[in-house]
Amino acid sequence: MGAYLVRRLLQTIIVLIGVTLLSFVTLHLAGDPTYLYVSERATEQEIENTRRALGFDRPLPEQYLTYVGRVIQGDFGVSLRAQRPALDMVLERLPATLELTIMAMIVATAFAIPIGILSAMRRGTAFDGSMMLVAMLGQSIPSFWLGLMLIIFVGLNLRWLPISGHVPFLDPLLDGDFQRAFTNFPDAMRHLLLPAITVGVFSLSRNARLVRSAMLEVLSQDYIRTARSKGLREPKVIISHAFRNALIPVITMLGLEFGFLLSGVVVAETIFSWPGVGRLVFDAINQRNIPVVQASVIMFSFMFVSLNLFVDLLYVRLDPRIRLN
Amino acid sequence: MTTHTAQQDVLSLSNSELAPTTSSLRRARKSLIRARWPVLALIILIVMVSMALFGPEVAPKDPNRQNLRARLTAPFTANEETGDVDFLLGTDGLGRDLLSRLIYGARISVSVGFVAVFIGGIIGTLAGLVGGYTGGYVDDIIMRLADIQLAFPFILLAIMILVVLGQGVLNLILVLGIGQWVTYARIARGETIAQRGQEYVEAARSMGMGHWRIMLKEILPNILAPLIVIASFNVASVILAEAALSFLGLGVPPDVPTWGAMLAQSRDTLLAGKWWLAFYPGLAIMFTVLSLNILGDWLRDFLDPRLRGGD
Amino acid sequence: MIKLFPRMGKLFTVAVLVMAMLPLVVNGQAPGPDENTLVIAQSVDVAGWEPAQVSSRAEANIFSHLFATLYEISEEGTLEPYLATSYSLDETGTEITFTLNEGLTCHDGEALTAEDVAYTFNRAADPENAFTGNTPGFVFDSTGFINAEAISELEVTLFVEQFQSINLGLLAEVNIQCMDSYSSMTLEEAAAMPIGSGPYRFVEWVPDSHVTIERVPEFTLRPNNFETIVWRVIPEASTRTAELIAGNVDIIANVVPDQIEAINSSGVAEVQAVAGTRRMYVGFNFTSFFEGEPGWEEIQNTDVRVAMQYAVDVPTICETLLGTECTRASSMVNPPNDNPNLEPYPYDPEQAEALLDAAGYPRGDDGVRFEITLMAGAGRYLNDVNVVQAIGQYLSDVGVQTNVQIMDWTAEFVPALRQHQVGPLYFVGTGGGTWNAQYDMADLSSPTGATNYTEWSNPEWFSLREGLFNPALTAEETQEIVNQMLEVFYNDPPWLLLYFQPDFYGVSNRVDWNARRDEKVFVWAANFFE
Repeated sequence: MGAYLVRRLLQTIIVLIGVTLLSFVTLHLAGDPTYLYVSERATEQEIENTRRALGFDRPLPEQYLTYVGRVIQGDFGVSLRAQRPALDMVLERLPATLELTIMAMIVATAFAIPIGILSAMRRGTAFDGSMMLVAMLGQSIPSFWLGLMLIIFVGLNLRWLPISGHVPFLDPLLDGDFQRAFTNFPDAMRHLLLPAITVGVFSLSRNARLVRSAMLEVLSQDYIRTARSKGLREPKVIISHAFRNALIPVITMLGLEFGFLLSGVVVAETIFSWPGVGRLVFDAINQRNIPVVQASVIMFSFMFVSLNLFVDLLYVRLDPRIRLN
Repeated sequence: MTTHTAQQDVLSLSNSELAPTTSSLRRARKSLIRARWPVLALIILIVMVSMALFGPEVAPKDPNRQNLRARLTAPFTANEETGDVDFLLGTDGLGRDLLSRLIYGARISVSVGFVAVFIGGIIGTLAGLVGGYTGGYVDDIIMRLADIQLAFPFILLAIMILVVLGQGVLNLILVLGIGQWVTYARIARGETIAQRGQEYVEAARSMGMGHWRIMLKEILPNILAPLIVIASFNVASVILAEAALSFLGLGVPPDVPTWGAMLAQSRDTLLAGKWWLAFYPGLAIMFTVLSLNILGDWLRDFLDPRLRGGD
Repeated sequence: MIKLFPRMGKLFTVAVLVMAMLPLVVNGQAPGPDENTLVIAQSVDVAGWEPAQVSSRAEANIFSHLFATLYEISEEGTLEPYLATSYSLDETGTEITFTLNEGLTCHDGEALTAEDVAYTFNRAADPENAFTGNTPGFVFDSTGFINAEAISELEVTLFVEQFQSINLGLLAEVNIQCMDSYSSMTLEEAAAMPIGSGPYRFVEWVPDSHVTIERVPEFTLRPNNFETIVWRVIPEASTRTAELIAGNVDIIANVVPDQIEAINSSGVAEVQAVAGTRRMYVGFNFTSFFEGEPGWEEIQNTDVRVAMQYAVDVPTICETLLGTECTRASSMVNPPNDNPNLEPYPYDPEQAEALLDAAGYPRGDDGVRFEITLMAGAGRYLNDVNVVQAIGQYLSDVGVQTNVQIMDWTAEFVPALRQHQVGPLYFVGTGGGTWNAQYDMADLSSPTGATNYTEWSNPEWFSLREGLFNPALTAEETQEIVNQMLEVFYNDPPWLLLYFQPDFYGVSNRVDWNARRDEKVFVWAANFFE
């Protein structure tokens, strides 16, 4: 176990280096970013000064190594545009993005599992057919369009839920301000629902279908037949044997899903005016705001890797046949 | 070894012995017809693909011919003077014929979907084959590259690459293709490892067959089935990804009609009630994606005998 | 076949019911803005709170409520006293002395005197600070600002290199800060929180979400009628419109033309359309960067450029794509400061074709005279992507086969524009004003000047321009030179003139506010209807 964790940690570092290197090289390939950071009427001299001040005049390998050296000391650099620490800018937006991602994951799993199980158990019925049709529809709607439709119908016409904006919940909670977190909670949830559905519907649909086919597979296995033939009651068969195994593909996807959900988050944050990292990093890429891009990318990758480590550990608990290697 | 073995066990969709043979083709046809829905899906896909192939012959108008005075004409609107319906499905914000754009759009959208998956599939399958067959540090490097890409949210990678390369259909295909390879690599690798120890591989090796030949001639046919199933699902998600990138302003140039871009261009007119701008491209995307999913489902059931018999 | 068994079924039913009920359960009355709070939605956020770094109109709008300026240019183009009560120029016109009101303070209570004004200017100009915002980057460069000195408690003198009639207006609108508060902060601290001098004070900033400011009761130089103003950031146009119609937002900027009808028919809000001052044009890039590119050689020819002016149907573009009537520009100067004798080029494709034939560029067998690329950034101006495509169509229709290339605004277009490397045709809009013709003409200050993206070098224009740097000129004499220059521009056009960009604001029926022509969202004088 210990050796395993050490190896995973090493791999994590390799991944982080790879990710930063990749974004660094890509952003610099796009040409000299200096022109985005000088005023409209800047002279050649001023442009040269700015280039030097931003460090873009030095050779790329040197720039990269300097950057890595600083990051190791915890200095992620200063946003080229806002002149604020890049890490602060990412961290202050992270809770909003996490709320959205977690809620989307909840939407994607909490509904997928019962739908998938019931569909599998009633395979071939009208229920199964309609659920799977809906699931397939859910997989064919682009999220930005779904988001706009939700705004127009649920937000504007029905007035059920807020149209846009964010009420912080996780942020006060992490600050230890439980009072504020508690009073904000209902409003925070109301604001979360539409964006979370927008982000989560694709995964919800896919997961429902995954659970269904995993259940079908498990239900046809010998040990389930054995359990049934031993006269175990059906609910017990489902819950203690089948369900547990059907969960595995969902958990697998959960790990990989994170990266996927983030893609939806960039779109949803724009539509719902959600103050998260997705919008920040999208703008930062366009402005070649390299410190901000790097800080966000490192943060995302780190979360992705940790989540997958967690998922792998969870496997061992769920399925004794799987061993860490 | 790799860190994601556990996940691969789950993700790999088949055991082994799934190599398609000639007799299985007849079996496929029978099963297809018996299941009914896949037949419909196939028909829809054939229509879409022929639209893509014969678009210029079929389209009633030049998809890029603007007519500002006739912009946002509703579908089936008769011309006040002549009484003819000039634009069957209406026009877009620049007065371009929606039907013609849809037909031309099939061309780009469908080919973006298939070509990107093809590129990603080839890169991924080769990487997975080589990694799984050779093992050792080659495998390690390939899997670390895969980890790096997985840890890098695809949309960010896509945005960065498109910012560097600029907009264009080819760049878009490239980006969407690159975004795919890891899935195929991991499945191909897992399957290859399972095949590596099989007798037929040993036999080929003892006969002095070269490594590349063993990989491509012996192993590849045996691991193709799950890859094809995944590919059929991925064409659908690529079409959606194209739409999302168009929404972010990173898709194809605005005069190039694709379904995703057309849908993205409808964003401002939705509130104004110009439903047709979103409805028709949305319908085209939905039918295509739905058909691909239904076919993919059928293909998986068909190729994976464990799931049959429930009917 | 497995039977559905009761417990799971119930569980599932309950789950579905709860989900269906959730919106009803959590739905209270939407907490719209209260009767003391004005909510304004713009598409972008401030980058930070450093006044010398302000670069966008959206940022400047918020800063103008937090910081006061020496004078203010009114919508009609007149200079109105603000922190300063009067000004005077020395005889060379290079020293401008402002006299301040007495008893001014900043929001932290510090007294605001001439010393603070001088500090504000010198701080923004200090190369150590490397500021790139509008003040050091545009105002100081355009005016040739040297430095500022406090000459008494209430008098401050600004020194510039050369007299120009636009100096006063530009320098008068710099946001004034207090010295003690800002000199005690690092740049990073200053970027995190503003200490203002204007009618509203800073309360809260949640990046990418909103900024809250509140009334400063002691402030008397301008009315401040709202207890609180919230500036929300809503990037997506449809979302802004939906929030306005839902009654959660009072004023939205940049309404999309196709949504005007939806707002007007809502009964909750109305769209105010104003003829803006931003000059939209297609530039002809003459620089050798494009030498050898198709079309580059052809546009060197004045006759070709004149001919192309006739090819584009600007009124139809305005009416269909911009949702409003607009007059075609006859020059780069906003009316009423323009040359009244110049008629805008009419839409006359036959004339365009005849002129192109005469210039020696007949249609080839394929109907094409020559090919050319038209570059534009996406998403910066009103309906820009569609407008550019329409222009491309009009030019192609007269045989100038135009290849429209849409680029990302920030990542691709701006860096290339700054290096004068967009073209041979490019689409841009440049901010203008109603207060001074020379402000509008500052784009073409020298043949290689930073904002002369075409590098147009007509010698007549630049020699006439020299004549303007004379403080002794009367208004009529100045206008005479301006008129001559605009005639040169008209006959040897470096730009394909289009229109002054209209602006659309969505305004809630509960707010008494009138949109301005100059893109400034100032709400001091606004009020809620009783």
